[in-house]
Amino acid sequence: MNLFFQQIINGLTLGSIYGLVALGLTLVYGILHVPNFAHGALYMVGAFMSYFFMVDLGVHYWVAMAGSAGVIAVLAILCERLVFHPLRNSPPIHDKIAAIGILLFLEAVVQMFWGSDFRRMTSPFTGIMNFDGLIIPEQRLLIIVAAFVLVFVLQMFLRKTMTGATIIAMAQSREGAFLVGIDANRVAMMTFAISGALAAIAATLYAPINLVYPAMGHLVIMKAFVIIILGGMGSIPGAIVGGMIIGFAEAFGGFYISTAYKDIIAFGLLVLILSARPQGLFAKGAH
Amino acid sequence: MLQLKNVDVCYGSFKALSDISMTVDTGELVVLLGANGAGKTTLFNAISGLVKPSAGDIQFEDKHLNGMKPNAVVSSGVVQCAEGRKLFPQMSVMQNLMMGAFVHRRDRAGNRKRLNEVLELFPILEDKAQQPAGSLSGGQQQMVAIGRAMMSRPRLLMLDEPSLGLAPLVVKQMFETIQQINSLGTTVLLAEQNAFAALKIAHRAYVMENGHLVMEGDREAMLGNEQVRKAYIGA
Repeated sequence: MNLFFQQIINGLTLGSIYGLVALGLTLVYGILHVPNFAHGALYMVGAFMSYFFMVDLGVHYWVAMAGSAGVIAVLAILCERLVFHPLRNSPPIHDKIAAIGILLFLEAVVQMFWGSDFRRMTSPFTGIMNFDGLIIPEQRLLIIVAAFVLVFVLQMFLRKTMTGATIIAMAQSREGAFLVGIDANRVAMMTFAISGALAAIAATLYAPINLVYPAMGHLVIMKAFVIIILGGMGSIPGAIVGGMIIGFAEAFGGFYISTAYKDIIAFGLLVLILSARPQGLFAKGAH
Repeated sequence: MLQLKNVDVCYGSFKALSDISMTVDTGELVVLLGANGAGKTTLFNAISGLVKPSAGDIQFEDKHLNGMKPNAVVSSGVVQCAEGRKLFPQMSVMQNLMMGAFVHRRDRAGNRKRLNEVLELFPILEDKAQQPAGSLSGGQQQMVAIGRAMMSRPRLLMLDEPSLGLAPLVVKQMFETIQQINSLGTTVLLAEQNAFAALKIAHRAYVMENGHLVMEGDREAMLGNEQVRKAYIGA
């Protein structure tokens, strides 16, 4: 039974990380209307930034996380200003190509500075908590709690503040947003900043139980895509629930079937769910 | 109040509007008649800052609107209620209305007062306040769209084919409401294909064909005009 609960904890941990990354991806999808392939690169650079702050500057884990979130938010805004904004009137394929360009560029820059080695980043939360035989490493607990807090704060921001509502408004009707006087540029920059910060925080949370290396974003972003397709493109609850579905499927699949197959389970689920519900789990009907 | 001088708009090499000059005075209800593709929507979008005129000047009171961003146009008091409504379909009716007050978001008391005025115009929206806007009937969605535009506190309200796709009885109510909005002090520029109904409530009208303004006159002159009757009223 304990092993079963252990898998629930693992599922929640993975689901939290995937959910945070997918949330940023889905928010930006609402603005760009194309998937931002560079999102995984922002995640990776976020991990390297935290690594740099912690190892090279010697600051505390929390400070490193905040610093990394700030740097990646600015980097995401730069991507929007320098790349996506000038392309706003081009066909969508140009955005996609540009996003892949950003991805390759960021990976190359990171490789130039840090090389392609795998690095370890240790967090101060290395302890293990024991609840009557149920063992939870502190870092995993931190991931789960942090993800829940972030999702809650983000929901409050989007639902209860006018500034947050502009992001939803723009995702639902771009023209409607213009007509009520919403400044599209501000909303786009804000959305990119939030999405970048979420990616950086997710990477900083996950790095201590994983490794930091230039290709670390690849699988995460692939799964984030699976999640937002599952959940319905642009749907916020979809990103969170989708993240949990993939996280749990991997944890349980990895344990009860084989860890060697855990990555394939996510993509297997994608095929299964899309055969039953091609519009995704949470996509609303016709507009 | 609103003055257009020799405005041209091009989409690539296609000239959608050429040499448009028109005026709307304070307190007027002016109708813009024209068939599909005549350029009514393009003209509205040029005034709203959604498309850039390639030539000419658009002046509202003492401000030049050409080259202004759409949000600055809304802030200066020119609000468009677009064809096809452009609501936020998954937001509730109330949220849609409150988004209309976006440029006045700091004036909460003013917005509440304004909201009551809008709900007085469209009492049915009060019952539907918590429903997603996308779930309403066409006529009710049009009310939300006009209500949302009114929440932006327009001094000039531009309505783009508000009667499109509505049942005849609903259309009649819609025009009565528009007349009411105008009589309460908002200047209205109304684009319509439903010429007879629109002319009945208008002070003046312009007729648009293939991107040109071809005719202008007050209500009586327009209703009496043989060409207008043939082309738009069908009598």
